[in-house]
Amino acid sequence: MELLRPERPDDAVAALRAGGLALAGGTEVVPLLRDGILRTDTLVHVAAAVPRGIDGTRIGAGTTLAELEVDPQVPEALREACRLAASPQLRAMGTIGGNLKQATRCWYWRLRYPCRLHGGDRCHAREGEHREHAIFANDFCASAHPSDPAAALLALGATVRTDRRELPAADVFRLPTEDDRDVVALEPDELVLELDVPAPEASVYLKAMDRQRWAFPLVGVAAARAGSDVRIALSGVAPIPWLLASPEALDEATPLPGTTYKVDVARALVRRALAALG
Amino acid sequence: MARLIRTEKEVEGRYTETWIVVEEDALEQWPAGPGAVVGRPAAKVDGYARARGEARYTADVRLPGMLHTAMLRSPHAHARVRRLDVSRAREAPGVRALLAPDDVEWLTDEPPYEGHPVVALAAETAAQAREAVRLIDVEWEPLEPLLDVEEAVRRGSLVGDVRRYERGDLDRGLAEADVVVEAEYRTQTLLHNALETHQCVCDWQGEGLDVYVSTQYVWGVRDGVAEAFELPPDRVRVVCEYMGGGFGAKNGASGYIFLAAELARRARRPVRCALNRREENVVSGNRNATIQRVVAGARADGTLTALGGEYLCALGWGGWLPSTAGPMQLLYACENVRTTEYGAKLNLPPMAAFRAPGFVEGTWSLECLLDKLAAALDLDPLELRRRNYAHADTMNSRPYSAKNLAECYRRAEPAWERRHEVRARSDERWKRGVGLASQIWYGGGGPPSYAWVRVGADGRANVVTAMQDIGTGTRTAMAQIAAEELGLPLDRVEVQVGDSARGPFASISGGSSTLPSMGPAVRAAAADAARQLVEIAAQRYDREERVLSLRGGRIVSSDGGSWPLEEVTAILQDGQILGKGARGPNPTGMRVLTFGVQVAEVAVDVETGEVRVERITAIHDVGRVINPLGARSQIEGGIVQALGHTFSEVRLDDPLTGRVLTRTLDAYKLPTIADVPEIVCDLVDEPDAHLTNLGSKGLGEPPIIPTAAAIANAIRDATGAEVTSLPLTREEILRALHEASERQRERERVGAPAA
Amino acid sequence: MPETTLRVNGHSYTSSAPVGVSLADTLREELGLTGTKVACGEGHCGACTVLLDGVPVLSCITLLHTVGEREVTTIEGLRDHPLVHAFVEADALQCGFCTPGQIVSASALVEAVPHPTSEDIRHAMAGNLCRCGTYPRIEAAIQSVAGGDSS
Repeated sequence: MELLRPERPDDAVAALRAGGLALAGGTEVVPLLRDGILRTDTLVHVAAAVPRGIDGTRIGAGTTLAELEVDPQVPEALREACRLAASPQLRAMGTIGGNLKQATRCWYWRLRYPCRLHGGDRCHAREGEHREHAIFANDFCASAHPSDPAAALLALGATVRTDRRELPAADVFRLPTEDDRDVVALEPDELVLELDVPAPEASVYLKAMDRQRWAFPLVGVAAARAGSDVRIALSGVAPIPWLLASPEALDEATPLPGTTYKVDVARALVRRALAALG
Repeated sequence: MARLIRTEKEVEGRYTETWIVVEEDALEQWPAGPGAVVGRPAAKVDGYARARGEARYTADVRLPGMLHTAMLRSPHAHARVRRLDVSRAREAPGVRALLAPDDVEWLTDEPPYEGHPVVALAAETAAQAREAVRLIDVEWEPLEPLLDVEEAVRRGSLVGDVRRYERGDLDRGLAEADVVVEAEYRTQTLLHNALETHQCVCDWQGEGLDVYVSTQYVWGVRDGVAEAFELPPDRVRVVCEYMGGGFGAKNGASGYIFLAAELARRARRPVRCALNRREENVVSGNRNATIQRVVAGARADGTLTALGGEYLCALGWGGWLPSTAGPMQLLYACENVRTTEYGAKLNLPPMAAFRAPGFVEGTWSLECLLDKLAAALDLDPLELRRRNYAHADTMNSRPYSAKNLAECYRRAEPAWERRHEVRARSDERWKRGVGLASQIWYGGGGPPSYAWVRVGADGRANVVTAMQDIGTGTRTAMAQIAAEELGLPLDRVEVQVGDSARGPFASISGGSSTLPSMGPAVRAAAADAARQLVEIAAQRYDREERVLSLRGGRIVSSDGGSWPLEEVTAILQDGQILGKGARGPNPTGMRVLTFGVQVAEVAVDVETGEVRVERITAIHDVGRVINPLGARSQIEGGIVQALGHTFSEVRLDDPLTGRVLTRTLDAYKLPTIADVPEIVCDLVDEPDAHLTNLGSKGLGEPPIIPTAAAIANAIRDATGAEVTSLPLTREEILRALHEASERQRERERVGAPAA
Repeated sequence: MPETTLRVNGHSYTSSAPVGVSLADTLREELGLTGTKVACGEGHCGACTVLLDGVPVLSCITLLHTVGEREVTTIEGLRDHPLVHAFVEADALQCGFCTPGQIVSASALVEAVPHPTSEDIRHAMAGNLCRCGTYPRIEAAIQSVAGGDSS
């Protein structure tokens, strides 16, 4: 294995195009490489190639979650989502750009069961242990998306700028299907460079987890208000960060036997989040 | 004088009858209360070495030429190896030795649980070893695994016999009761997760074998390895200088050590075998899950007339049946008790002792049931416990060597009284309440255990014994005991432990037995040295021995004279004063137990099922406290572990394949610093007058025992919800809340006048 | 294999380890700095925490070749830090296997927040697991160095 350290986005993209694998904070890529879930001959360490730092509404993709959680320019929902994400060391290492590509914590997927996300023909969680799994869009694959910041970005209506386009944060994600098992809609060689996170009038992130800190969301609720427009997005409830059209949309949840509690928790957190927006 | 006696030996609640030679324990106990060193807070004598990363753990042992091990383990809960070809692995770069199922008994081609080793190999580097395992060509034939505990009991798939106990007549007791409550409680499989995983380095030296190992029992490893390799035990030297936690899973020799030793023998090189975290969490032992069906009957005044329990323990493929019924048998005076315990043999990794095995699980059910009974009787839960106080051993009427549970209850009153104020702080979202639970456990230790003390010309003392300090502060406590007896300041005592070739036999660090077993031996050895020092000083200063004593690093005469100890010892030059001591017998005809009570304050978010423990008051009776600082740490640590057991920790197994799913520390959630409530510790600190020359019992296990039940009882107090299954996840809390509100609605419906 | 330069505790080292080797393994196996412990090896427990330019990171999932110019501080470099004394005095360690990582994390906290509250400590230290459960003592130890309030 070799490691490249491009200093410009173009060079990074070229290296990715040649089959390289992007490495930023390494919190996800390094363990998945060791487990053989990711494979590459060329690691492309993109730290020098992507912008880092916060300037008004613009956030460099190389900015760490630790930097985001304390910056007053960052909307409350995103700051809180970063603050409650992972562990302090993981937040100090992990970047917001990398976080968009965060993989599920589904234990079947992590242990390389031949599940749908690995190209197999069944979801082991549906008949197995699934208390941490999805309550929406869980028919094909019941994995839950674990990113707290991603839900906040969706609620805040963030835009993602890559080396080749700008797209709404919500469009970064796609539900896995028979034909494409990936949950990220970006090209394999596409490099996230920057995010634009418009300032809302009010925003909030609430999170239910098994510990007070250092746990992935059972349910995370991000909500943001801009004028009369209120947007709600959830983490931990679907294979991708989940935009909730309205609080009533929770009635359409399709929980598994072991995840019905998540609907109750989500209901309470959504109610509280909306109340907090004023 | 040495005496040969037949005695009951207890470890982790398991009793065995054994012959032992004991030395009479001729020393009077020290008066109650703090001495010059004992009973006063002492920072760990090895604290700097550990904190600075200088302490050498087994994980840090690097021997010249050392090889590294990797294993092919079964990925199936039950399988047969249909075809196995290790030729590519054997020829792989760096590989120096390889063992297949035909070579040794510790490997198998029909693995009965996930993770059982099938092939073990040693290579120049860890990476080469792992790579070589990938080259093993293996074809599995998966077999149907037996995973369900009830099914196993039905089929008679058991580890050991069904254990039945009865006193009085349960049915009569139930018939006599005014109120009967019953319930089914469940506990989950838990993983020890000592931060240092199981590991060893095996190094053949001539005809003998050196084993560096992370263990709670240096001598157990020595004997186990010696037996496996048919060596005279003293040809096996076991070294454990510093140890990164065990919690019961490292109580002796086990397969991975034998495999490393055999690989080392064949490769003629030192071999290191270190389990990674995932292997650790699959194969190195667990606290077994339970299903417990319990019943209690009482008269209207709260007098217990009947206690009954059926305990189904999911032991996995091996291990032993811990005493889950122990608390029901021991805690309360009740004439009619019947318990039945089953150890289900399953295609799951075997259990191992885990900090108060059995009693943690059994106290959960018993103490939750007691509060259910108190509610049914409309009686104060603390009062219910007092009304059924046992004044003598419930199983055979022996007197207790000491019991201060009543004093624990008395001291718990202020915390218990807070419940009115705590409840009053409830609001729409957060409901607050207070609950308590009692604790009973062993912890008396026993013989044999030995120590040596040597005092040099510099007037410093060295305690030598081949015990291990698993992180509980053993070195420090032993130093304190020796310092007290020798009248030395603590910084003039060294303690040498962790090497079977360098000191006499010492007890296992398990079953809360280290301090009560080793402490008296160290004191006896120090006293032997002190006696000799006084004899020498008497001659040197021309005084009668009876007027001399050792205090503050000096020889003190009752006539007013005093001399620095080193003034006496200086004349020895290379000479040394050598003291030896042995642990005396336990008191005959008495039951030695530890007691305590914990009071928990909780807040329950009734909409999301979140529970926040806000305060735990822990009061324990473990006899004399040697080191109040270390004792507090043990209590806090036990409670923190119990919080994990209560809320966030669970080994989940795939119900179809029987494979462990939560083997990594993101999925298996240990408590973090952010989960810790205010913890108030109190120790009765009353020496057990009948127990050894110290009157001290062990404290490692008691604090973890009552916490979960105290929390559950606080949740009941706060919300009326009856939780029954550990861990208390959001779903369990919401389920219980829902059930409670259904019950309430039903009551209102029944209570309402007919329309 | 090209050599990689590494700055650790003020000293320069070179390593010829292949790409993919972790910083933790380099420190422990190549440089003999075994104070940094590896307890999970996959970024979940915090035992391997070291500082990179003062920022606490997990050395077990940090690839050696991504460290670059950044200064690595391990527990060996914090030998005389007041936190060491504070941890010992407060009895903030039992088995001690997590302790070097705890002290490394705590050193970054007290550097960034001289008077941390209890909440600050719990937030900053939540990635360092201690199975012995010394957390209350750890909080006390950090408070004693920082002189912060516990409100």
